[in-house]
Order: sequence, then C-alpha cells, then structure tokens
Amino acid sequence: MKIALLVILAFFLSACQTLPVITQATSPEKNVSVCPNPFLKQKTTLIHAIEVHMSSGIKSAVIGITEADPATRAISCAIMTAEGMVLFEAIETDGFLDIRRAMPPFDSAHFARNMIEDIKLIFFEPRGKIEQIGFLPSGETACRWRTGNSDTVDVLKTSSGLPEVKRYSGSGKVKRYIKFSGLTGGFYQSIELQAQELASYTLFMNLVEARPAEN
Amino acid sequence: MNLFQSHRKNILFVSCFFILLLLNHVAFADDFEQVRKNAAQIKTIQADFIQTKSMKILNKPLISEGRFYYAAPDSFRWEYLKPLKSIVINHKGQTKRYIYSGGKMVEDESGGAQGMKIILGEITSWMSGKFDQNPSFKATLKEGTYTQITLMPVGQNMNGMLQKVIITISKKDAAVKSVNIIESETSSTIIDFKNTQTNKNIPETIFQDIE
Repeated sequence: MKIALLVILAFFLSACQTLPVITQATSPEKNVSVCPNPFLKQKTTLIHAIEVHMSSGIKSAVIGITEADPATRAISCAIMTAEGMVLFEAIETDGFLDIRRAMPPFDSAHFARNMIEDIKLIFFEPRGKIEQIGFLPSGETACRWRTGNSDTVDVLKTSSGLPEVKRYSGSGKVKRYIKFSGLTGGFYQSIELQAQELASYTLFMNLVEARPAEN
Repeated sequence: MNLFQSHRKNILFVSCFFILLLLNHVAFADDFEQVRKNAAQIKTIQADFIQTKSMKILNKPLISEGRFYYAAPDSFRWEYLKPLKSIVINHKGQTKRYIYSGGKMVEDESGGAQGMKIILGEITSWMSGKFDQNPSFKATLKEGTYTQITLMPVGQNMNGMLQKVIITISKKDAAVKSVNIIESETSSTIIDFKNTQTNKNIPETIFQDIE
C-alpha cells in the first residue's frame, strides 16, 4: 500500500515539473536586448523533405509543402509522398481550419490541429506577450512568452548561436522542442521537431526550396 | 482506414506510373489485343524520369527526378533520387520500400510494402498489356497525332484521389513521352521519361541492393 502511494506521489511530482528559471545578467550591458528570432519575416512557400520517426520505431518519409504568412498567421499546407500523391491538404485562416484532403492516417481533426500548431510554432513568432528575458541556468539566451492557452514558449539561442524553441504545457512539461540549423539565404536548412505526446514523434525537416512571396 | 490502406492507395497511384514504360512497344497498336501481343516482347526496361507536380499551393511546380528498372516477369525498381530519396523494389515475390533516413536507406516499415503485395497483381496485369482487363480502371485507346491511352478509375477505390491518367506516346519513335496523372482540377503529376532502353541486360543486383 505504501509503495503504491509512493508510485502515485512520484507520478504526480513528475507531472508537475517547473519551468527552468530565467535570470538577468549580473551587469546591465550583458542583458539580452534582442530576442532570438528564427521565424519567417514575410509570406513564404517552403518545401521540405521530412523524415518522420515515431516512438514505436517506425520511420517514414514525406514531402511537406507550407505556405505561411507571418503578417496574417495564415497557413496553407500539404503532405505528399515521393510519388506525388497528396495525403493531406489544409488551410487555416483566422483560426478557421479547412481540411481539403486527408488520407489515413492523416484524417483525424486532432492530427490536423496539431500539425497546424506545429507549423505555427516553427515559423511564427509566438503570440502573447514576452514575460521574461534573460539566461537559462545552462547558459542559453532565453525569451519567454506566455501564450493565451496557458502554455509557455521559450525562444532560445544556444552557446553556438543556433536558435531553439521549447513549448511547455501548463504543468511545465516540454511538449515541443525545435532545433534550427544551417542558416542560408535567410532560411534554416534543417529543422528538428521533437513532440512529446501519447504517441511521440520526431520530424527531421530538410529544406528543399523556399520561395518568398512576390510583392 | 489506417496507414496500411493509405499505402495501398498510394501504391495503386504509383502503379499508374509503370504503365507508360510498358507501352514502349505498343505505340502502334490498333487495339488492346495488339497491345498485349507487343507487351509480351518486353523483357527489360530502364529509363530516367522527371516528375512535375503541380498544385494550387505551389506557385511553381515541384520537380522530382528518378530512375526506373523492370525485368520480366515481375521485378522492378522505382527509385527517386531527389528531392526525397526513396526506392520501391519488387523481386522474387518480395516487395520492399526504402526511405532515406539518418544518412542511409532504411526499410519503410509503416505498411507500404504490404500494400505493394496486394497491388502487385494489378501491376503484373498491366505488364502483360492487359490494360482493358483491369477492374480498377477503364481504358480507352485513341489514335491521332499521338497515341493516347486514357485510364479512368472505376468504383470507389480511387474516389477523391485520382480523376484519370493520360498516357501520350510518340508515333515517330514509339516511345512514351509523358504520363499525366490528374488528381483534381488543381492538382496533377506529369512524368516525362528519357533515356529509355528496352531489352538491355539489367544485373539482378539492381533488384537486390538498395545502395
């Protein structure tokens, strides 16, 4: 009985993680004045070769097409196979999600919503307000956003200068961890997204093409 | 519906691509009976291909490139070189799909290969030139400046996924010039073949080794 209580207590303690502390620099001139910004600056169409690694060990690969407009936060996206078959296509404008095509296993509303949220987290600056600016104990520059849905988003710059994004749940658990690398021509060539869900997954996105919208 | 079924549809979609290469020797056929006779003469095919994908979301088509090998009766290798490396190989009754992951080709275990087995019967049917005997498609042959074969999906299997496949063949050199896979009003996939060689020896390792 005592063991069972200990297990339950351990479970709840692990579920109630706390966010890493952000501290100010000791001297004012070393303080962070500009937050890391790996996000899109203008409406862009991006094509990525995406490796999907599921926690079950299954690996797959698809082509991802995203048209993202940071000004309006509108997203159009599609997933297709190497052979060109479109498995999923959706548009989100003003919070309204329009799923144009959804083949299994991409045919649940939950999948579509999660995918759009992942795309926004990768390409758009977080919504809400910046709550803290400073440094994590591990040394990264950090800007912390409190978003409207009780989640917290940290936009980080590592010691090697590469940006990262972490989204925490209300209980402080890391739900998404994004790493950017290979900045060329204003676009990151490689993006890794780790998602912690009931069925966790990791996406390795390699940029094939980025086309800024013509004005 | 699950991943397996999705792959099955994908493989059916992929299968459309195989048709065109099998038509290299059937360009002057007056009817499907002649198509079957001519197809029986094909022992091997190898060709490069360029795939042009058009979609509303793309303001410029996405170009993919690859290589195709076929050896009678049922060995094939369908390989994309870029932008997304992938290979589907069928050999001696075994069908496998590979993807590029972690710097090397690894087997795709998400169900695609199983879907391939199911659809293999249909591919074999096409390889025998039996375009008008496949219950999944209604085939029509039209002679004009070019020989054109149109495949229309029948039944519910390809609903919402594929409207039709148009195969255009040059009468001049009897080679398939293009295949246009029309998925919807705003989405299509055009495959252009080049450097096509028929009945030239293909090493068996092509259907065994993935690197």
